[in-house]
Amino acid sequence: MLERRLYFHIDWLMLGAILLLCGISVAMVYSTTFDPARNTASRLYITQAYAIAIGLGVLVACLGIDYRSLADSSHFFYILVIALLVYTLLFGSVVGGSRRWIPLRVFNLQASEFAKVALALVLAKFFDESRRGNPSINDLLIGLGMTMLPFALIYKEPDLGTAVTLLPIFLGIAYLAGLKMRLFGVVLLAAVLMAPVAWKFALKDYQRSRISTFVDPSQDPLGAGYQQIQARITVGSGGFWGKGFRKGTQAQLKYLPVAQNDFIFSALGEEQGLVGVLATLGLYLFVILRSLETARLARDRLGTYLVIGVLSSFTFQVIYNITMSAGLAPVKGLTLPLMSYGGSSMIATLAGFGLILNVRMRRFTN
Amino acid sequence: MALPEDRRKIAIRVSVLQFALTVLFAFLALAFWYLQVVQYARLFEFAENNHQRTLPLRAPRGVLFDRTHKVLVENRDSFNISIVREHSKNVAQTVRLLASATGVPEAQLLDTVRRYEREPKYRPIPVIEDASLAQVAAVAARRLDFPDLIFESVPTRQYPTDDLAAHLFGYVGEVSEEQLAGQNLRSGDIVGQSGIEKVYNTELMGQDGARKVIINSTGREIRRLDEIPPTEGRRLELTIDYDVQRATEEGFRLLGYNGAAVILDPRNGEVLSYVSIPAFDPNAFAARGPDFGATWASLNTDKLKPLQNRAIQGRYAPGSTFKMVVMTAALQEGIATPDFSVYCGGGATFYGRFFKCWKKEGHGSVAMLRGIEQSCDTYFYTLGNLVGVDRLHKWATLLGLGEKSGIDLPNEVQGIVPSTEWKRQTTGQKWYAGETISVSIGQGQVTVTPVSMAVYIATIANGGTRYVPHLVRAVDEGKGWKDVPAPAAKSQVPFKPATLETLHQGLWLVVNGAGTGGNARIPGRDVCGKTGTAQVISLEGAKALAGRTDLDLRDNGWFVFFAPRDNPEIAGVVFAEHSGHGTEAAKIARYAMETYFAKKEGKPLPPFPWPPPKPQNVIVAAATAGAPR
Repeated sequence: MLERRLYFHIDWLMLGAILLLCGISVAMVYSTTFDPARNTASRLYITQAYAIAIGLGVLVACLGIDYRSLADSSHFFYILVIALLVYTLLFGSVVGGSRRWIPLRVFNLQASEFAKVALALVLAKFFDESRRGNPSINDLLIGLGMTMLPFALIYKEPDLGTAVTLLPIFLGIAYLAGLKMRLFGVVLLAAVLMAPVAWKFALKDYQRSRISTFVDPSQDPLGAGYQQIQARITVGSGGFWGKGFRKGTQAQLKYLPVAQNDFIFSALGEEQGLVGVLATLGLYLFVILRSLETARLARDRLGTYLVIGVLSSFTFQVIYNITMSAGLAPVKGLTLPLMSYGGSSMIATLAGFGLILNVRMRRFTN
Repeated sequence: MALPEDRRKIAIRVSVLQFALTVLFAFLALAFWYLQVVQYARLFEFAENNHQRTLPLRAPRGVLFDRTHKVLVENRDSFNISIVREHSKNVAQTVRLLASATGVPEAQLLDTVRRYEREPKYRPIPVIEDASLAQVAAVAARRLDFPDLIFESVPTRQYPTDDLAAHLFGYVGEVSEEQLAGQNLRSGDIVGQSGIEKVYNTELMGQDGARKVIINSTGREIRRLDEIPPTEGRRLELTIDYDVQRATEEGFRLLGYNGAAVILDPRNGEVLSYVSIPAFDPNAFAARGPDFGATWASLNTDKLKPLQNRAIQGRYAPGSTFKMVVMTAALQEGIATPDFSVYCGGGATFYGRFFKCWKKEGHGSVAMLRGIEQSCDTYFYTLGNLVGVDRLHKWATLLGLGEKSGIDLPNEVQGIVPSTEWKRQTTGQKWYAGETISVSIGQGQVTVTPVSMAVYIATIANGGTRYVPHLVRAVDEGKGWKDVPAPAAKSQVPFKPATLETLHQGLWLVVNGAGTGGNARIPGRDVCGKTGTAQVISLEGAKALAGRTDLDLRDNGWFVFFAPRDNPEIAGVVFAEHSGHGTEAAKIARYAMETYFAKKEGKPLPPFPWPPPKPQNVIVAAATAGAPR
C-alpha cells in the first residue's frame, strides 16, 4: 500500500487540474442535457459524477501498486482486454449499427477504452525489455503487431475513431524508445502514399463523405456537413464571454446533436466563451506538459514508456476532438477525454492518469 | 537504471514534444479566437436565426355592421395545415403522405408549394387552408410522420351563409403580383378582391402582429419570447338595413327571379338594400378549401353569370320606366303641358312605319297623367318625337341615366342614352328621327344600369337632388364610431314645381289608380312608382336565339318606386330578369317597402305577401303577347 513517504510525492497540482476538468465535465453534461421545454436536466450528469467517483477509486488503486509490478502482469491485462474485445464483437449490444458495448447490469462496458491502458502497459514493458538504444526493426514490427490486434478488433465493431487512438500509443513509445527519425519519415511517407488506396478500399462511404464534406461543408449543409457548420456556429456565437451557464441555445435545442458527447467542447465555447475555452485549453495543456515532465523524470525507461504510452492516445484525442469542436476537422466519433459524457472512457482515462501519477510518485524509489 | 546518454536523448525528445504540443495548442487558441472574436457577429446571428422565429399573426379584418349595428360580416378562426420546408427531409414525400391522409389531390398541394418556392425555408406554406376537423385529426394522429407540418390558426372572413349581399360585400383573396406593386403589402396577405372588401381594403385590413418564439432543432416551439398582438381592421357601419336587404333578396328567391335591386334613402343617397342575383358564397373565397378550383370554374362558366354584379355592371333596356324622362323633358322644355292629349288607336305611324301600343284596342284620347298611369305607348311616341332625341338625352343625363352613379363599389359600368352626337361618334352615322320613337318608350339604343335607375327615381322623388349612392355611414378605428360624411350631391336638377307635381301625381296614379303598379300599393303609404317591361329579343338580336330557352327570351321587368309621395324616405329600383312584366318586380318592391316601414315603426316584420308563381303560369304569361309595359 501507499507508504507515507510516497504520499508526499503525489503530484497534487496535476491531480488538481484533472479534478477541475472533471468538475467542468459534470457542469457541461448538466448544461447540455438541460431541457428548456421542461425546465429540467436529464440525470446524465449524475451518472457522469458516479463514473468520476469510480474512476478516482481506480486511480487511487493504480497509485497503490508499483507500476513495475503492474507492468510485470501487463500481458495478463492485454489478454483480458483482447478477450473482452472479442466478446464485444460476438455478444456486445448493437447501438446505431455498431457493437461497442458489453451490457452489464449497471452500465455498458466499452472494452476499447480499457484497451488503450492495457496496450500502453504491454508496449512499455515490451520496449523496456528489448535491446537498449535504438529499437530494431524486429522489435518495431512485434510492437506494431501487438497494436494492430486490438486495432483490428475495434475497427471491426466498427469504431474507426477509437481504433485509431491506439496508434499514437505505439508511435509515442517507439519515439521515446529511440526510433530513428529517418525510419519515422519513411513510415510517414508510406502512410501518405497509402492514403489514396485507403480512401478507395478501407474507408466506408459514410467515412468518405465525412471527409469530403469537411473540405467543403456547404456541399451538404443538412447532411454530413451539418454538424461541422453547426459546430462553428455554436463556438462562434459564444463570443468572448459566452452566453452563460445553461444558456447555450445551440446545444440545448439540439442544433448540435448529442452535444454532451463528441461536441461538449463546442458547447463549452458557446456557454463560457473564449475565456472558458482558453482556461480549459490551459488545463489540458498543463496536464499534458506536466505528464511529459513526468516522462522525463521517470526513474526508469519503463516509467517513461508507460507515461508516454498513456499520454499519447490522450493527447491525440484531446487535440483531435477540440479541433473538430471548432469545425476544423472532419467529424469523427472521438470523445474528449475527461470531459465528454461516458463512463468507460472516464474510468479508463483516470486509470491511465493513475499510472502517470504512479510513475512520478515513485521516481525516487528503487 | 537508464544510462545517462539515454536520459539525455529522452529529455531532448520530450522537449521536442512539449514544444510541438505547445505550438499546437497555441494554434487551437488562435482558431477559437478567430471564431469567437473575429467571426462572432456573423456566427451569433446564425445561431439566433437557428432557433428564433418570427411568426406572423394575421390581423382579423374589420367587422361590417348594418345601420342598426347588426353584425353582417365577421371573422372566425380556421386552421391551415402548413409545410415548413426547413424541417422537411423530403417535401415531395410529405406532400404524398399528406395527400393520402387528407384526400386533397397531390397535384394541388405541389402547386401551392411551388408558388411559395422563393420564400424563406422557415416560412410555413399553407398547403391546406381551412382544413376540416377530420383533416386536422388525420394529420395530428401521424405527427411523427410529419415533423414538417404545422397547424396555424388564422382569422378567416365569415359571411352570411345564404349569399346575402354577396356582390355588395365582395370577397377576399391572396394578394396578387400586380396588387403587390406599390402598396404596403406582403405576399401572402389577404386583401379585398371585390365589393366593399376591395374598396375599403385599407380600412378593413388592420395590422398584422408577430410572435417571436424559440424552437428546437426539430421545429418544436419551446418558448415564446415576445408577442406583438395584431390590430384588428377598422369596423364599418354600412348604410344597409339588414332586414330590408333580406326582404328584397327573399322576394327574388320566392318568386324565382334573377336580377338586381338598389334601394336608397332619397334624402341622402344611403343604400338600404343592394341586391344582385344569382350570387356566390363569399365564404368559399375566404377559406379556399381543396374544392375551390372547381367552385371557381363553375362560377365562371355558369350561363347565369353569378359573378356579374348586375346592379352596377348589367346594362338593360329600361322600357316604360324611361317615360318619366320624356315627360320631364317635354314639361321642362315647354314643349307640352299636362293637358297635351294624344289619340291612341292601338298605335300610330311615324316616318312611314307603324309603331304598336301595347294595348291593341287602343287607349282612346289620353292626356299626360292618364298616359303615364296607363303607360300608353302611343302617347309617349308622340311626345318623344316632339321632344327629340337630344333633349331626351339632356334630361336623362341630368337625372343620372347613362352616367356612373359613383357608388363606392368597384367596376361600375355606364349605361347608354343615345343622342345624335353619340351616334355620330360611335357609328359615324346620322341619327334617324324614327329611332327616337323606340327610345321614347325605353327601347332601342337606350340601356341603363339598375343603380343609375335608383339614382334617377330618387332624384325625381326628392325634388331634384342627385345624390351619390354610398354604403358606409360610420367607421370605428377602435376609439368609438365616427360618422363618415356622405359624398356631396352630384347636381341639382332645375325642376319646375309643376313638373314635379305632374310626375309625382302620375307615378302615384300608376300604383294607386288604374295603373300597372297596383302590386306595390300599400294602404296609407302613398307609394309612387312605375313598371317597365323591356324586350330582350329586340336588343340582342336573332343571333342570340341559338341555345336559348323560352324563359331566357321573356321580357325583363322593372319597377322604380318611392314612398311616401310627400317627403319620401325610401326609393329604389327592382329589376327582375325575364320576369315577363314589371308587375312582378313591383311585388318585390312592395315587400321591401313594407319591411322598411314595419321596422321603422317597430312593428313585427311582415311575411312575403305573394304566393310563389306556378311554373306553367309563367310559361303561359310568356306566350301572351301585348302585355302592358
